[in-house]
Amino acid sequence: MLQAYWYITKMKLLVNLTYRFEVFTSVATNLILMLASVFLWQTAYKGGSGSVESLSLQDITTYTILSIIISTIFVCDVQNTIYYKIREGQIVTDFYRPIPLFACYLAEDIGEMLSSLLNRALPLVVFASIFFGIPWPASFGSFLLFLPSCLLSYAILWLLSALIGLIAFWVMELGNMGNVKDAIVRVLSGSIVPLWFFPESVQTVSKFLPFQYTYQTPLGIYIGNTSMSEALTSMAVQAVWIAVLYLILAAGWARTKKKTLIQGG
Amino acid sequence: METVIEVKDLVKEYIIVKKESGLRGSIKSLLFPKKTKFNGVNGISFSIAPGEIVGYIGPNGAGKSTTIKMLTGILHPTSGSIKVCGISPQADRKAVVRKLGVVFGQRTQLYWDLRLGESFELLCRIYQIDQQAYDDNLAILTDVLKLQEFINTPVRQLSLGQRMRGDIAAAMLHSPSVLFLDEPTIGLDADAKHAIRNFIKEINRTRGVTVILTTHDLDDVEQLCSRIIVVNNGKLVEDGPIGSIIHKLTPHRLLVVELHEPADDLTTPHATVIKQEGLKIWYQFEKESISASELIAALSQKLPIQDISVKEPNVEDAIREVYKTTATR
Ligand SMILES: Nc1ncnc2c1ncn2[C@@H]1O[C@H](COP(=O)(O)OP(=O)(O)OP(=O)(O)O)[C@@H](O)[C@H]1O
Ligand SMILES: [Mg+2]
Repeated sequence: MLQAYWYITKMKLLVNLTYRFEVFTSVATNLILMLASVFLWQTAYKGGSGSVESLSLQDITTYTILSIIISTIFVCDVQNTIYYKIREGQIVTDFYRPIPLFACYLAEDIGEMLSSLLNRALPLVVFASIFFGIPWPASFGSFLLFLPSCLLSYAILWLLSALIGLIAFWVMELGNMGNVKDAIVRVLSGSIVPLWFFPESVQTVSKFLPFQYTYQTPLGIYIGNTSMSEALTSMAVQAVWIAVLYLILAAGWARTKKKTLIQGG
Repeated sequence: METVIEVKDLVKEYIIVKKESGLRGSIKSLLFPKKTKFNGVNGISFSIAPGEIVGYIGPNGAGKSTTIKMLTGILHPTSGSIKVCGISPQADRKAVVRKLGVVFGQRTQLYWDLRLGESFELLCRIYQIDQQAYDDNLAILTDVLKLQEFINTPVRQLSLGQRMRGDIAAAMLHSPSVLFLDEPTIGLDADAKHAIRNFIKEINRTRGVTVILTTHDLDDVEQLCSRIIVVNNGKLVEDGPIGSIIHKLTPHRLLVVELHEPADDLTTPHATVIKQEGLKIWYQFEKESISASELIAALSQKLPIQDISVKEPNVEDAIREVYKTTATR
């Protein structure tokens, strides 16, 4: 079985490495986004006292660059895959194979993630280093914590995406809910503006939502804005969210299988 | 009797959201959807013995695909029970699908981005097929379905007929004991149809694979199936050997007589004239009450006959008869 997943991942990786034009557009779009965001922060900081909420301009620049880079790696296509497969009725072919379907979609996303690491993230790192200098982590220790935290982030994002996919099994009329979710994640994860800049009340509420643990947690660790103990606590919270989302997904999926909506003969 | 498939009182209820037209209508139906229920499959029972080739036929919307989806564990029945190889596909989908090969003619289970051969490789890993068995099986399938020319072509570049052959091979890689084919010959040319029919006969003969086939091509049925199950409006209307169903539904035959000169009295007590075109006359007669030779003898006494032929009703006539009598909703 593992062999099957590995094969899916490998093939997805190989296939994706051959898509040159898509890669070019992706790198270009993200580069523009990166430049614009960094210039915006530079302008914002010029007017102020030099540092806001104890974040230096250097910190926020690194934060922004890294945020855009990891967003190209965190591939969660599962929501779209499911939506389109259901829409076109193609989902049936995934149902009569003796292999769990979500695991296959995860294997695909991981394959795409690996290819993005090579052909999307890497060029962005190079460009960012040229324009703004290498975005170093605060310390070697924070880099070591950043990596596992990123993995946990990805698990949360992927599970959220899979849950959205699950909705498509029930209601097709709503369209692709993924776009709504993506917008919420973008704002509440702190991927564009860290939540430290948000009003106290928003920050409090956000602590009880999974979103800030997807971008702000690993990025905060990377720039050294969180102490060691805070970092470990956040990672524990990430793990809890993974467990919770996984249980919801498993329960939801068990129910969904009985009521699957299949379009077309 | 030994059975591979056992279906009892199968019902699948679909909920249909009625869409109203216009902007107001669509907003209204988004907020307050009008839901109606209807049974796509409405109480079907049958059982199938190992090694049978069964044609599952019926007009569009009869519930054929819906039935196949339930048999293969894709859909859950609203009520009724299914046993495939003694297991319920709903209770243990993974155990059942290992024993099944499935082809939906309108979809492909091949991977769009991969080459055909790579799709097979992946299936080999998914079904955990023993390497030796896989190689042997693939060699046979490649040979019978003539896959050599396009085994290295990306699936998205295959023609419909090539893709269908690829799909059928994919369904047979893990040596299933039951094969479900939902319209496997749809849109194929005569050659491709021929190849696929031969293949079905072959695996049925050599491996004893049970085949359940839906199709609108009655040649498929005539050439392959020993038994047909006819459904309409979600209900089973006929189930039995092809010959007896034809016999039961169309008990009459046609005698076409060509005269060399016009005759006055064409009537005979044994048959009715149903059509006349110049010197050509169509007689319809019940095969129970008179044999063709008796009728010919009787007619040749009073008519100047030049040529004569007997037409047996075929599956198509029988099926049309079924569709007519079980009027649509
Ligand atoms: N997802 C669905 N939602 C609502 N109704 C459906 C759905 N799928 C099928 N139906 C309805 O159920 C009935 C049976 O459909 P099914 O696809 O089983 O027909 P079929 O016998 O395969 O027809 P065909 O020969 O056209 O393929 C049809 O009236 C169809 O409109
Ligand atoms: Mg159908």
